[in-house]
Amino acid sequence: MAFQLLLNMLLSITWMFLNNDWTAAGFIIGFALGLLILIAFRRFFHQPLYVKKMWAIVKLLLIFTKELFVSSFAVAKHVVSPKLNMRPGIFTFRTVLQSDWEVTILACLICLTPGTLTLEISRDSRTLFIHAMDIEDADELAEQIKLSFERAILEVRHA
Amino acid sequence: MKFSDLILQTAAKVLVFIIMTFSIYILFAGHHNPGGGFIGGLITASALMLLYIAFDAETIQEIIPVDFKIIGAIGVLMALLTGISAVVVDSAFLTQVYKYVDLPLLGKTGIGTALVFDLGVYLAVVGTTMTIIRSISEDM
Repeated sequence: MAFQLLLNMLLSITWMFLNNDWTAAGFIIGFALGLLILIAFRRFFHQPLYVKKMWAIVKLLLIFTKELFVSSFAVAKHVVSPKLNMRPGIFTFRTVLQSDWEVTILACLICLTPGTLTLEISRDSRTLFIHAMDIEDADELAEQIKLSFERAILEVRHA
Repeated sequence: MKFSDLILQTAAKVLVFIIMTFSIYILFAGHHNPGGGFIGGLITASALMLLYIAFDAETIQEIIPVDFKIIGAIGVLMALLTGISAVVVDSAFLTQVYKYVDLPLLGKTGIGTALVFDLGVYLAVVGTTMTIIRSISEDM
């Protein structure tokens, strides 16, 4: 992934050298042409094309934005309702993510969406302790996190 | 039940580089914009402090094996030498020489001895701050 991106940059700079055109426009044209060449020779690489990973990252951002809006409105509804009928609590969430980066990003995404908050991570960095503002059903909430964030992060890894 | 500092450590590994870049920008921006040696040194010290908070002192000592007292001394010496070099060329102490030089790639760049003085201040501030904090936090 990183190698392909660097190669694309190198092709871009080569294009700028050949044209003696040191502008942003020249770089972008070179980058697009380099991308075309990379697509044409994509069978050479052992890993899939980096565009797929980029797209997975964009999808993760979109999912996060959607969750942010939905949960913000849910919290706002709790704030303006006359009676407080929520059940705060802490539940554990066992994650299948492996690397430090993936677990950190998952924990940060859980923190950034209103209503849930990562309190701690266990020593083996597999179990997250999450505080939720309103738990109807802990398993359901864990399932929701699993389906949205964890799956998107896994997609980034496998892309 | 022990917990891990996973988030803090992973974030620190990246944030330290960003803070260091910013501190070097501030160090060189001192002539025409807000910034300079003192604030640059403090920002560098804060980046190092972030490492000390995220990891333990022995690990950081292995990663950055410098004695901060010596760093501070080198900084003060640099600042002093810029002053003495002005005396050597027959002008008053701490007179700064400022010149516009045409460097390759960079074009017209202003270079002055004030920059070297600022670097001395920077190193002195980093050395002093880190020495104070490390001697408070552990028995040395």
